[in-house]
Amino acid sequence: MTTRLHVLLGDGGVGKTTLAASYAFGLARRGGRVALLSVDPARRLQGALGLALTEDAVSVPGAANLHAAVLMPETTLRRWATAGLPSASERDRLLNNRFFRVIADRLGATTDVIAAVRVAEWIEQDPSLTDVVIDTAPGRSGIEFLLRPGALVALLQGRLVMWLRRLAGGASHAAEVEHSHGLSARVLRGLGHVAGIEMLVELAALVSVVEQPFHQVLSRLEQAEAWIRQASTRILLVTTIREDAVPAARVLRDALRHTRLAPTAVVVNQTLSTDLGLELVHVDESVLDAEALAVMQYVRGYLEIQSSVLADARALAPRLIAVPSLPGLDSDLRRDKLGELGERLCAALTNSGRDAASTDPG
Amino acid sequence: MALILPKIVFILGKGGVGRSTVSAALGMELARRGDRTLVFGWTVSDPINPWFGLPPAGLTPSELSARLSVGNYGLDQTLKLYFVEHLKLPRFYKHVINGVHVRRLIEAAPGIGELFFIGHLWWLSTLAGAEAGLHFDRIVVDAPATGHGASLFDLPAVLSSLQATGLLGVEAERVIGMMSDPMRTGAFVVSLPEELAAEETVELVPRLTQRMSRPPLGVFVNRSVTGTITSREEPGSPESLAAQLSPASRTHLDGVYGELQGRAGFERALCKVLQGTTRHGVLPLTEQLFGTRAHHPRDIVHSLATEIRAHLDGLA
Repeated sequence: MTTRLHVLLGDGGVGKTTLAASYAFGLARRGGRVALLSVDPARRLQGALGLALTEDAVSVPGAANLHAAVLMPETTLRRWATAGLPSASERDRLLNNRFFRVIADRLGATTDVIAAVRVAEWIEQDPSLTDVVIDTAPGRSGIEFLLRPGALVALLQGRLVMWLRRLAGGASHAAEVEHSHGLSARVLRGLGHVAGIEMLVELAALVSVVEQPFHQVLSRLEQAEAWIRQASTRILLVTTIREDAVPAARVLRDALRHTRLAPTAVVVNQTLSTDLGLELVHVDESVLDAEALAVMQYVRGYLEIQSSVLADARALAPRLIAVPSLPGLDSDLRRDKLGELGERLCAALTNSGRDAASTDPG
Repeated sequence: MALILPKIVFILGKGGVGRSTVSAALGMELARRGDRTLVFGWTVSDPINPWFGLPPAGLTPSELSARLSVGNYGLDQTLKLYFVEHLKLPRFYKHVINGVHVRRLIEAAPGIGELFFIGHLWWLSTLAGAEAGLHFDRIVVDAPATGHGASLFDLPAVLSSLQATGLLGVEAERVIGMMSDPMRTGAFVVSLPEELAAEETVELVPRLTQRMSRPPLGVFVNRSVTGTITSREEPGSPESLAAQLSPASRTHLDGVYGELQGRAGFERALCKVLQGTTRHGVLPLTEQLFGTRAHHPRDIVHSLATEIRAHLDGLA
């Protein structure tokens, strides 16, 4: 049995995290064994679930088979890198490597790769999982989650890494690089010119130390890349009622298309009842105070934007799902409401119809 | 406190807070004041030019209006510009940098994009005039969403910890010098009166202060509601409007109004927490939907530019 991957993509602030949480609830309520992973460095999933999350999966109360985890890149990376290194001296060499320290400590950009490998690890440890829901980082970085595994596999299997390993092999190879005319020597000399030869030696040292953990990470990356591309994978493009919502979502759709991936559905979050708009047309404005007038204009403007977003978003994916706004949930109510919304999302995704009438605001 | 506006102004904030609209509006106002201004972004595709009916801007800035240009970062083009035009190493670029093996390293390695982004800003603010005829008095940087946006400010520390020599070493020194000079770089944070955005701003401001060894210039609170939504005791939406609606619509309106009240609460809390943590304080930008104006992004940019003008005049 294969595990189905569900990836939520979208710009910041569109409600990806809350939707991911409720979608996972929905899948679990329908009898799945579900893993929910938040890649968002902002760690917002905890707020949506009202639950403290860690790098290790924890069971979510209110759903029998739902486990959630948040990605902690530094912790995870250190754990993997050292797991394959039996001797303390090798571990020290790795943990003190300049490149490794930078990668582990600083750059949020590594998150996407680690997320991909983490998903593969999770499925490896729990093969009975039916679904994995991934709440990605906003916008462009979310796309990276889908693209970076392929790029990294290409690098790690490529010749540059092999040459670097040879360079780390000893002084004779370093001398070879200085004087040889082969392609490998030319490329390494070139990189040395850019970053300094000491840095190249340090990079080579990293490559040689991670030889063992590297094999496992590589096979997981390949696995993640394969999962992302399997036919059952669902990519949900999430957007909301905002002036530039559709152009922004279109940019993400095009970036996906560029790598031959396509969204399964576009989810328009925070929609409002259109009946309210129809009634506002007949309101007597002369009796309204300043605040009431402003609120009325706010609702009118909001519905205006909503109707153009819904009309334009249809072209982005085979399905459009409109989700009503859920304001002011307190945390007790939250999980229940989330589950309810999630079940409707699941139903909308499996319905044969083009649009999801059940969640359409009218 | 007297207004300080460095040559490069970073606009930072969580995704969806309106960084691009605020960047465009600030750029527009600076151009109106007479500065040759560039709004430089890092997005999959530049959103700003299309708002004004123009094709999306690329790495080479294109003119939007008098003294105002827009550009958008792309790593591939920047690498070419750096090695071919700036360093005059076309063969090195062709055979080493653009060769399949190094391309793979560049595509997979984290942080390369950030490094060349900052490096390109350094070039734009120094040599671009002499080397490419691009003269700018100000650069407004529409930075990537917070996670990556703030990591731009980690870069100097990262670079010095790598102890790079070679070309990268030279770049590192330039970038570190630029980022630590308050006359050359500074940052505004854009926030929203909403729970998550406000929380993230409260975390971001001290982090930036520590990384830059100086406080951010200020915080723009976009879609501000406190000037319009009153704080009231009784629940429910304004009676003069609600009384005219059916019970079902009244419930929907209560939902919307409750959310606006919630936003007003977050906004007041945000202003209180941020008091004294930035150089120029909190600068509210009014929620556009309260007005009857058209809601096209172009109109929003114009209207935000007017509000920013009032703020800058007040600070000068």
